[in-house]
Amino acid sequence: MASAAKSVGSTPVSDQVTKKDIQRAMWRHIITLQWSWNYERMQALGWLWSMLPILTKVHKNPEKLKEAMRRNINFYNTNPVVGSPAIFGAAVAMEEANNGEVADSLKVGLMGPFAGIGDTIMAILVRPIVAVIAAAWAMSGSVGGAWLMFLVGVAFIATMPWQFNVGYKQGINMVHEVATGGKINQITEAATVMGLIVIGGFVPSIMAGVKTPLKFVRTLDVQGKATEKVVEVQAVLDQIVPFLLPVAILGFAYWLIRSRKLSPVWVLLILTALAFVGSALHLL
Amino acid sequence: MEGYGIGTALVLAIWAYVSIVLVLGPGLWLGEALVAGAVTGLVVGDVTVGLQIGATLTLMSLGMWTYGGATMPDFMTGAILGTAVAALKGGDGALEAGLAIAIPASILMTQLDVLGRAVTTVFIHGADRALEKGSIKGITNMHLWGQLPWGLTRAIPVFLAVWLGAGPVQALIDSMPQWFMTGMTVTGRLLPALGFALLLNQLPIKKYWPFLLIGFVMWAYLKVPVTGIAIMAAAVGSLYIALKGVRANG
Repeated sequence: MASAAKSVGSTPVSDQVTKKDIQRAMWRHIITLQWSWNYERMQALGWLWSMLPILTKVHKNPEKLKEAMRRNINFYNTNPVVGSPAIFGAAVAMEEANNGEVADSLKVGLMGPFAGIGDTIMAILVRPIVAVIAAAWAMSGSVGGAWLMFLVGVAFIATMPWQFNVGYKQGINMVHEVATGGKINQITEAATVMGLIVIGGFVPSIMAGVKTPLKFVRTLDVQGKATEKVVEVQAVLDQIVPFLLPVAILGFAYWLIRSRKLSPVWVLLILTALAFVGSALHLL
Repeated sequence: MEGYGIGTALVLAIWAYVSIVLVLGPGLWLGEALVAGAVTGLVVGDVTVGLQIGATLTLMSLGMWTYGGATMPDFMTGAILGTAVAALKGGDGALEAGLAIAIPASILMTQLDVLGRAVTTVFIHGADRALEKGSIKGITNMHLWGQLPWGLTRAIPVFLAVWLGAGPVQALIDSMPQWFMTGMTVTGRLLPALGFALLLNQLPIKKYWPFLLIGFVMWAYLKVPVTGIAIMAAAVGSLYIALKGVRANG
């Protein structure tokens, strides 16, 4: 981190850009990239504002500066926490070396793949595992659940200066390597295996409350006497396969999304309707 | 049972504003319903119910993510409002009353999320104009104040609902029939299925389904606690990669 100004890969030529400018650009990106997120150009304005400490030093001519700023306010959108700092770091190195066009193509080429990687890591691999553990703690009344959730968010942010410096030092090479390399696939695979085991265990534990109160009264003939016996449907189900109802409900929801291609809001409404009808009929 | 004062409403509104802006950058997980619920619980004096409501909403949101900037239910605002209502009700049925507010509020708030994202477009046009004038200060202002539509679309509804709405919201809860409350309770139990389903939809379960069964068996038959399952999962994940490497190399 300390050697951010000493670039190895791309050798920036500008001597006006100081280490402090680079740090300012980095922190602007980390803290505010999405503050002006909008439908039209998404993270574009945040990108430009973060790049300004570099641009204003490199381009002393006002027209050249405007030109550079116009390039930097074009559409941009990727995962802001995992991915974007590396892209931005590499772009800072390019802009500093007055290679604006290279920075542009780098940015446009990488924002898609990096969004895929970043969103997968955060939303699919890490967040669900953390969320399920945290929710289980919180349900039992422990504030630790909320802290766990919060601190994992902080941990992600803590990697951002590192990502920036990797991007800055290695320029395009490193960024490309990360996007296509095998290491990330290994991590993804290990995390997928981990995630599925956790989900497999957490589905029945979280949804243990899904039970049927349904009962039958059967009249049995015991040694010539008619006796009434209450048959609890849930107990019968538990003997076949425990947690059959939660699994069935999950299978139904999965089918709606996977095969029927319904949006989450529709599935939400259908499950709500199921809950109301089920509880009114004393089935759930 | 009294409503909330203007002070509480203001604190929660500011909390909602700060949360959404810090979610935008640097990406703190303050928007997580669990965190929002816990902090709201602290403000209104019932952390336990805040944790429960937050946890329920967080589980609902398991597979949801703002992919490419897509809108999803606003569970943060839902958790704030739900916790405020639940703490006001208190006692038995507090959780159900809170969820009865939190879930519809989360869904309704998507409309305001879309509004906020659309209105911020004004700021990037302002930045375009500042740029042509060569005004660095103008660009800076446009960017930094771009947070306003985001923050206000959360803060204003929270403020109104907590302060002005305390009475009406209360009356609404008191008038809720038993079948509705039972229905909401069952809904709360079923909805984690949505989160899990969305999640599984994004994972390659065709290839990796046996691991799903391992986890299920550990809980359902072997009665391993959740933390134990998580530790086991880490071990199996590492082993899987290690063994795969051995096979590929040998």
